[in-house]
Amino acid sequence: MRRALLAITGLAASTTALVVFKAAPGTGQPAQEAPTAAEGPAPAAGSDETTPRASTAPESTRSASGASRSGSSGAPGTPAASRTGTAAAPPTASTLVGPVVSNEFGDVQVRITVVGDRIVNAAAQRLPRGTAQSDQRSDQVDSRYSGAVGMVVERQSADLDTISGATATSDAYRRSLQAAIDQRR
Amino acid sequence: MTTYPRPYVSPRPARPGSGASAPPAAVPRRGANGRRLLVVLFLGGLVASVLPWWRDTPAGSLTGATAMTTAAGQITGLVAGYLLLVQVLMMSRLPVLERWAGGERIARWHRDVAATLLVAVLAHTALILVGYAGLEGRSLLGQAGVMLREYQDMVSAFAAAGLLVLVGLVSVRAVRRVLPYELWHATHLAAYAVLLLGFAHQFSNGSQLFRPGPARTGWIALYVLVVAAWLWGRVINPLRFNLRHRLRVSDVVTESPDAVSLYLTGSGLDRLELLGGQFFRWRFLTRGCWWQSHPFSVSAAANDRWLRLTVKVVGRHTQDLRNLDPGVRVWAVGPSGTCTAAHRTRERALLIAAGSGITPLRAMLEELPPGAALIYRARTPADVLLQEELDWLVRNRGLRVWYVVGSRNDPVPRQVMTPDGLRQLVPDVARRDVYLCGPPGLVEQYRQVLRQAGVRRRQIHLATFEL
Repeated sequence: MRRALLAITGLAASTTALVVFKAAPGTGQPAQEAPTAAEGPAPAAGSDETTPRASTAPESTRSASGASRSGSSGAPGTPAASRTGTAAAPPTASTLVGPVVSNEFGDVQVRITVVGDRIVNAAAQRLPRGTAQSDQRSDQVDSRYSGAVGMVVERQSADLDTISGATATSDAYRRSLQAAIDQRR
Repeated sequence: MTTYPRPYVSPRPARPGSGASAPPAAVPRRGANGRRLLVVLFLGGLVASVLPWWRDTPAGSLTGATAMTTAAGQITGLVAGYLLLVQVLMMSRLPVLERWAGGERIARWHRDVAATLLVAVLAHTALILVGYAGLEGRSLLGQAGVMLREYQDMVSAFAAAGLLVLVGLVSVRAVRRVLPYELWHATHLAAYAVLLLGFAHQFSNGSQLFRPGPARTGWIALYVLVVAAWLWGRVINPLRFNLRHRLRVSDVVTESPDAVSLYLTGSGLDRLELLGGQFFRWRFLTRGCWWQSHPFSVSAAANDRWLRLTVKVVGRHTQDLRNLDPGVRVWAVGPSGTCTAAHRTRERALLIAAGSGITPLRAMLEELPPGAALIYRARTPADVLLQEELDWLVRNRGLRVWYVVGSRNDPVPRQVMTPDGLRQLVPDVARRDVYLCGPPGLVEQYRQVLRQAGVRRRQIHLATFEL
């Protein structure tokens, strides 16, 4: 029995320790809100930078990890984007970030990469996270909309089909996306 | 029906060929390395089970009480899922577990892990409820309702948690003592339903497990492994054992007014890897007995002709055993137990038996190095079992025996049950392994006396099983 008490105490202590450790800000955490449209002027090798951008973006929050995940899941599509990039040669890629749109589940913020007039990539910088259900909703929305072969790139507009079961998140995504597209002009 | 030379009439050396003049060498020792490896594997698995959470959660992302509560709920959930699998694995009777840790010790671990598991499950449920309620802005009850209605597989998950609490409740010592064994056992079988009911929600709602990936694959692999281990330990291995040895009752011998010895024969007994002091779980395949399985120690060292168990008649089942007919088939699962000569840490041993607790100790006497001492507590002279064999061992193996007969409160037994009394009989008691077997209360009392007499914990071997 004494050992069981020890084990239970150990469980409580180590769970608390893990949570507290993760709550402390990590090292080298980039400021999250700073790079909005200002990230614009990109290196000349406009084609390659879409992928790294997705993963070097803020890695500090859960929403960012969602974004980097969508970046890597969109990876097979990036060659296609790079081909359009090299075809359109000089025009530089720019990144536009939409505003944070909140709904009852959390915040949504969309970032798009534009080459010339064309949207070549979209990523969710923030999505509602926390509960398993919101994780699932966000993942559904993210996987359908974002990425270099997602619905945003396909439609080239914010006119997207609503993901069933994730109406509010779809809606917030579209609004942030529309605002980002509007910045282009 | 064949009759066999009964060792209580003319005791023979344990194995043919080893004459009485040259006692057989003691069995080789088994170290504690296997046990340590098991502990290391367990702790490694525990770390690995929390690892998916660790990797999914970037540093600094847990801001606010709700996020931290939810994270703690996820950690306790992963720990609970892992511990549940460990619990089932420990009850799988996998031979390697029996060999490295032993049935008695595993039963103790099972108890300790059970308490931790129960706390982890309750913490997981509460923390996730509070965390999600905070995130989605609902009351606790409202959140519970939403989870039951809208989340996948949560009805069965709540049922699993409820069952687990029930299983824990009937296993609290005080509760278990007043319940009939059968009821406790049936409730415990419900623990398998917990495994089944709790399975789905981990993958449909577990933040670390619902996405395809290494964490999910690993978690499923863990389940497959545990089920495979269980099948091996509970089904395949016993089948193999019983098909190979085909045990039958050959003789029932009355040892005292309330104790009988059962002699079993079978084939290939020379290949039986049995150590004195170990026990099997026996099932006698006859009307009224076949459905229950009980652990009894083997009461004679392994030999190639027969197995013997000596049973004190205390209940209905043991009463039935007295009337078994020769030829009855026996289903045995084992051997298990680490209260054996192979687990000694010193060269000399002191054995303390009380009542029918002599049986496992009797079986290991021949496997111990010479110079062993035995204190045999019995209430009345009629309760002394297997005395002729013990006397034979005194003459031929240099065993020293003290019969301490009388009630617990008589002066002599009381004197023996003190550190000084023990030292008078066995001056070097602190430098011996001590094997204890008897009723749990008495064993515990002796254990404390031994500790006071300076015997270290690892030198004390208990053969009480709480199964």
